[in-house]
Amino acid sequence: MRFNPVFFLKEALRNIRLNLLMSITAVTTTFVCVLVLGAALLVSGHVEGIIGSVRQDVSVEAFFAPDATQERIGEVRTQVEGYPEVSGATYISQEQALADFKDTFRDNPEIYQDLGSDVLPASLAIQIEDPSDAEAVAGKLKSAGFSAENLSYPQQTIERLNSVTSYMIWGLRAATALFLVSSVLLISNAIRLSIFARRQEIEVMKLVGASDGFVRTPFVLEGLLQSLVGATFAALLVVWFNYLFVDWVGNVLPFVPIASSAVNTFFVLVILMAVGAAIGVLGSFLSVTRFLRV
Amino acid sequence: MIRFDNVTKLYGRDTVALERVNLEIDPGEFVFLVGASGSGKSTLVRLILKEMEPSRGAIYVRGVRLSSIPRRQIPRLRRDIGCVFQDFKLLPNKTAAENVAYAMEVTGQKRRAIRTKVPQILDLVGLSGQMAKYPRELSGGEQQRVSVARAFVSQPRILIADEPTGNLDPETSVGIMNLLQRINRIGTTVLVATHDREMVDVMRKRVVALEGGRVVRDMVKGAYADEV
Repeated sequence: MRFNPVFFLKEALRNIRLNLLMSITAVTTTFVCVLVLGAALLVSGHVEGIIGSVRQDVSVEAFFAPDATQERIGEVRTQVEGYPEVSGATYISQEQALADFKDTFRDNPEIYQDLGSDVLPASLAIQIEDPSDAEAVAGKLKSAGFSAENLSYPQQTIERLNSVTSYMIWGLRAATALFLVSSVLLISNAIRLSIFARRQEIEVMKLVGASDGFVRTPFVLEGLLQSLVGATFAALLVVWFNYLFVDWVGNVLPFVPIASSAVNTFFVLVILMAVGAAIGVLGSFLSVTRFLRV
Repeated sequence: MIRFDNVTKLYGRDTVALERVNLEIDPGEFVFLVGASGSGKSTLVRLILKEMEPSRGAIYVRGVRLSSIPRRQIPRLRRDIGCVFQDFKLLPNKTAAENVAYAMEVTGQKRRAIRTKVPQILDLVGLSGQMAKYPRELSGGEQQRVSVARAFVSQPRILIADEPTGNLDPETSVGIMNLLQRINRIGTTVLVATHDREMVDVMRKRVVALEGGRVVRDMVKGAYADEV
């Protein structure tokens, strides 16, 4: 059999026009569901972003003995930077350490008045990719000749942070999944309603000798168009709102580490539209199939 | 053309719709299927369209046993059988012309063929002036003529009409019957299920009478009842 795509598209558009109220219902349902889903994605993206930025501040500090030579320091630094867990290492010289110290206590100059420039040790501030690796990195440093007193890392903080954040991230993912499931149900229900209203039409088409595919194609196209329209509007709104939000936080709460980079807007846009379209196609496909057994 | 071989159809476990029906309809015949409501006429029609399966026995259409046709091939069977129903069964969102065209579109015919054929067939049923009207804008008789046109447009070998005049006044009914007769004259096998007594008596065609699911009478040039 020869299938004519223009015919099917015309059929789908005409059905949308003639069942305008049902179409609007389907579009609106998709819009609302995708909007909520998008909001869930945004929230989880930003919370994960904040958690990430907090975790990134965790670093291991290795202090050098006062008599350490520049060669030794360079050697250690190259070695440390070679560890797979390490994302970067910053050398802090004795002078730099004193300057930082003075800066921290700039309101109480008497604290550092009598300090000589060589009182504070030089150190290496080591940033690690995943805070749970701090222990391992410390272990390696120990075997490289650092004693436990010469290493500083906030072990307890890391452990707590890890357990709290992993719960939060899983909670957010579960909530997003829940939203996804309920939007699938809501949207396919709206589509099912609009097809149920036309089940007699489907029966007639079958009696005239139309194959399942011939009856189904315009309905599926219709579902795709409807959900795509709703999902596109919702996705654009979500992305636009994200820009506003990041901008607003940057101005009003500059100390909150919310970054536009925490949410990949293109990814969100694609995900939301793909989810909408997939539900539209699947929902209409399954609903029509129920009425095809004539 | 159509053969029923000892066909029994039960609804549920013990509601008998058809019982041991044997029936043979030859190509080019015009057959009335008569009987009261609930005598099994509609069941017989729906079995031919393979809308459902017989409980026992076999049905053959153009030599093919229906139970051997897989579900996917049912549309092909139905395209060989034009169908007219008591309630017209037109697509409400399509004009008269589009309803007729749909029957050609399902077979994947070329658009040019559709564009020439549809007006011809609507002219044949006397509706050339109503082509762009929607079913709700047409009278019952006009709707039924659209439905006949749709059933006939792909030139099926068999045309089945289930109570085609059930919703129409007598004058309009005559028009529909004449139409069916014309279709029969060009070689189409026509099967009309009806309880329109007058019509059957006037036309003097083969009459198969059903009663309680059994064939009680089968007469060439028959009438609705025995005593006529």
